[in-house]
Amino acid sequence: MAARELSLKATGRARRRLLVSRAAEATAVGAAGIALAALGTLLWSVGSRGAGALGWSFFTKAPALFGEAGGGIAPALAGSLLLVGLATAFALPVGVLTALYVSEYARPRAARQVRLWLDVLNGFPSIVIGIFVFALCVGVSLPVVGWGRHQSAVAGGFALSIVMLPLVSRSTMEVLALVPHDLREASYALGVSRWQTVLRVVLPAALGGIVTGTTLAVARAAGETAPLLFTSALAGQIVDWDPTHSVQSIPLTIFQYSESADPNLHRQAWAAAFVLMLVVLVTSLAARLLLDRSRRKLEG
Amino acid sequence: MVTGAAVGGRPWNAGGVAAGSLSADRVLPRSRRLGDRVGDGLLHGVTAVAALLSLLLVAAIAWRVADGAWPAVRTFGLGFLWHDVWNAPLDRFGARDLIVGTVVTSFGAMLISAPLSIAIGLFLSELAPPTIRTPVGTLIDMLAAVPSVVVGLWGIYVLAPFDAQHVQPLLGSVLGWIPLFAHGSDHVESTVFTAMLVLALMTIPITSSICRELFLRVPAELEQGAIALGATRWETVRSIVLPSVRGGVVAAVVLGLGRALGEAIAVTQVIGNFIPLKPSIFEPGDTIASRLANQYQGAVSTTQVAALLYLGLILLAITFATNLAAQRVVRRFERQR
Amino acid sequence: MTRRLIILTAAAALAAASAAAAATTDTTITGAGSTFVAPLVSTWTPALGRAFGYTIQYSAVGSGAGIAAITSRQVDFGASDAPLTPDQRKACGDCVQIPWALSATAVAYDVPGAPAHLRLDGATLAQIFLGRVTKWNDPAIRKLNPGAKMPALGITPVFRSDGSGTSYNFTDYLSSVSPTWKAKVGVSTQPAFPAGQGAKGSSGVAGLIARTAGAIGYVDVAYATQNRIRIAAVRNAAGKFLYPSLRRIEAAAAAFPKVPADNEMHIVNAPRSAPLAYPISTYTYVVVHRTSPHAAALRKAIFWALTQGQQPQYTAKLTFAPLSTVKAVLVAAEKTLRTLRPAA
Repeated sequence: MAARELSLKATGRARRRLLVSRAAEATAVGAAGIALAALGTLLWSVGSRGAGALGWSFFTKAPALFGEAGGGIAPALAGSLLLVGLATAFALPVGVLTALYVSEYARPRAARQVRLWLDVLNGFPSIVIGIFVFALCVGVSLPVVGWGRHQSAVAGGFALSIVMLPLVSRSTMEVLALVPHDLREASYALGVSRWQTVLRVVLPAALGGIVTGTTLAVARAAGETAPLLFTSALAGQIVDWDPTHSVQSIPLTIFQYSESADPNLHRQAWAAAFVLMLVVLVTSLAARLLLDRSRRKLEG
Repeated sequence: MVTGAAVGGRPWNAGGVAAGSLSADRVLPRSRRLGDRVGDGLLHGVTAVAALLSLLLVAAIAWRVADGAWPAVRTFGLGFLWHDVWNAPLDRFGARDLIVGTVVTSFGAMLISAPLSIAIGLFLSELAPPTIRTPVGTLIDMLAAVPSVVVGLWGIYVLAPFDAQHVQPLLGSVLGWIPLFAHGSDHVESTVFTAMLVLALMTIPITSSICRELFLRVPAELEQGAIALGATRWETVRSIVLPSVRGGVVAAVVLGLGRALGEAIAVTQVIGNFIPLKPSIFEPGDTIASRLANQYQGAVSTTQVAALLYLGLILLAITFATNLAAQRVVRRFERQR
Repeated sequence: MTRRLIILTAAAALAAASAAAAATTDTTITGAGSTFVAPLVSTWTPALGRAFGYTIQYSAVGSGAGIAAITSRQVDFGASDAPLTPDQRKACGDCVQIPWALSATAVAYDVPGAPAHLRLDGATLAQIFLGRVTKWNDPAIRKLNPGAKMPALGITPVFRSDGSGTSYNFTDYLSSVSPTWKAKVGVSTQPAFPAGQGAKGSSGVAGLIARTAGAIGYVDVAYATQNRIRIAAVRNAAGKFLYPSLRRIEAAAAAFPKVPADNEMHIVNAPRSAPLAYPISTYTYVVVHRTSPHAAALRKAIFWALTQGQQPQYTAKLTFAPLSTVKAVLVAAEKTLRTLRPAA
């Protein structure tokens, strides 16, 4: 045959298919672009509107009196720290122990049941969890510090811990599953008892993943508003570390300020949102990096 | 770490058996075996109790809500589900408009969020240049953790005005002949549609990051084979990639739906808190979670408290059913693979 | 090991915090309720701290939530603009309500193009909130504002979505001027409004009005003036269109000189014999248990609020009229206050 050049350009039906493909690609890129732009404006709004109101007095002062300018979110910061601390103190032990049970002791059917119901717990609306804890704390007096008859940081922390529990459990289970069996078998082969193996071999190996999983759960709990609406909402405008009292919290403060008409409070709401977002984003990023690293270490 | 000293100097048993029942009894001294058994039993017991606690929580929450709702269940019966009057002073309560509002808002949100999430997933796995894939992907992952109150704040002051001034009039003029999209009152920012947009934005990060992972897991050989056979990119995606991840995508969407159904805070900030529902989505509305957030604390009578808990029970049932559906889809999908 | 350490540290911190805080609980008085009186309580708080060393912790969660909170003894006092219903009185047991402030509800609107001094009357307000008058250039509104150019904007009524004493006050007024309203919706802290949008809290309503063109709603006067939202002049029984001000609120209170045994006062829609009365005025109550652990401190604090706290330096700027306007009310309040005693 003569050396006639064959064009690779598509013609006829092939060309139509190519155009359809290009159009579909463009649509996908466009749709992704719209969604990403919307998410971008979220970050941008919080950043631009919130950064302006940050300042030393914002972090150290209590809210201003009605109608006056200035003031800050110091009580809310302290309260959020207290609430999240209490929540972690409840959720971390129970979550890790549950994960240990599922990964080390439970038979497959029992393990599946526990995982199923933890997923159900994860899917419960957080407002219902808040109502549940409210019903407990107002209706029942328990001989536990701060519990009974009134809203308190303990009640709020407990509500947040219910939100955290499935997350801590699930991430711990995943990390425990990654611990190589050789480690356990070597330990048994050396004659170490089961409980010592679990506590001294398996758990330390999974510690990195547990920490990062808990960090992610903490970031989630720090931003939850609904569980606190009924359990720690009747708080005064001062910095209060007493767990038997109701305390302020950052998400509730943002919620209350967001609906007001005072531009000063709006600015503070954006600034508080900025702080919250920063905490959440930084912890998510750090946790993800650490998780990847510990996963790589375990998979070796 | 384990050291040889733990065995008390005796030669360790080679063979790598699992639990120490076989060899330890013959090798270790008696006091140590007793300590081990006590320790084993204790740890087993403590962890089992912890697991049981988690299960108990689920039962306790469901029981407490049902118990509190019981007076209302007895008073209103199943008719509660289709009566639409919510009048606190007269003690007349009906959940129909709230249930419809919840379902419409959440399903509408997923109708918006699902295609956009799939588009983002495809974008990040196939279409984007490699340099922007990682940063954008990480950004999306982090945005999944944004608290709902912050999304609500943005919804009130950024999204709602934009929506009321540009999106709603546009959609209203194009689709206004359908009652669902009938043009609402002037300048109303807090509408069912605004709530749908806010919920869509909340669920897009999580759904799209799951989609992206699913698309990345499709074996490269399948796609390459299709392209080798002359398929265009779109045809590859349509006939190879999408069918193989169909189950996972459905599960991701249902997961987002579960989150949207239970969302109280972001919704109550932008939805207008009004029933009875009007036919158009460009009017104010309300959902179960939003009504609980507003009225639970200041309930006028014990009947109202019970009615609100009845609402909570319905919401639990809806989210539970959605959760089960998602798990079933995931299981079927995993069996397929 | 690390986990044990963490748990021990947390427990120690909790114990230390409880010990430290226990020292201050004797002088900490907690309260919750009405957003209406929240600005005034916030002004009283530093003064009470200086006078007695008390720390007042008040959360403005709405009158309804405040009544619920005091009923279950979650707080030391509740604040409500709505008097207790018979059901609530029964649930609360030995609760008493003491009027401790006097102010009014303003009708706020946001209508670009409307006159700065909009006039409305009770019947029209009822029609608006019933959803029957839907445009700002409706003849009923035009008749009240002759010569004003009203835009053809849709009306969006804004109401309180939570349990609110301000809702009670406003619906009390509407019920007294409109039999249709009384029959269809009635008076309540959580009425079933037939039209419009809801927002949580007085500041929520003020905020929603401020950002919705064509909105009209009811807010406590303090929130309206502080956020510089336009308020309407409402016609009273004598036919005068009045804005809420100290003199007009006092006139409304003076028109009702008698105090019933349970202190429940309705001072809306004062009769024609009070020409200067603002028709949507209201008392607001503090609700306390007769016997409670902090009864002594409560007696001192509430007495201060009834007397010193009514001075113009605290009340005038927020448009609260002094309680002593009607002597009988002050006397009744003090009498009820004296029945408080510490728990056995």
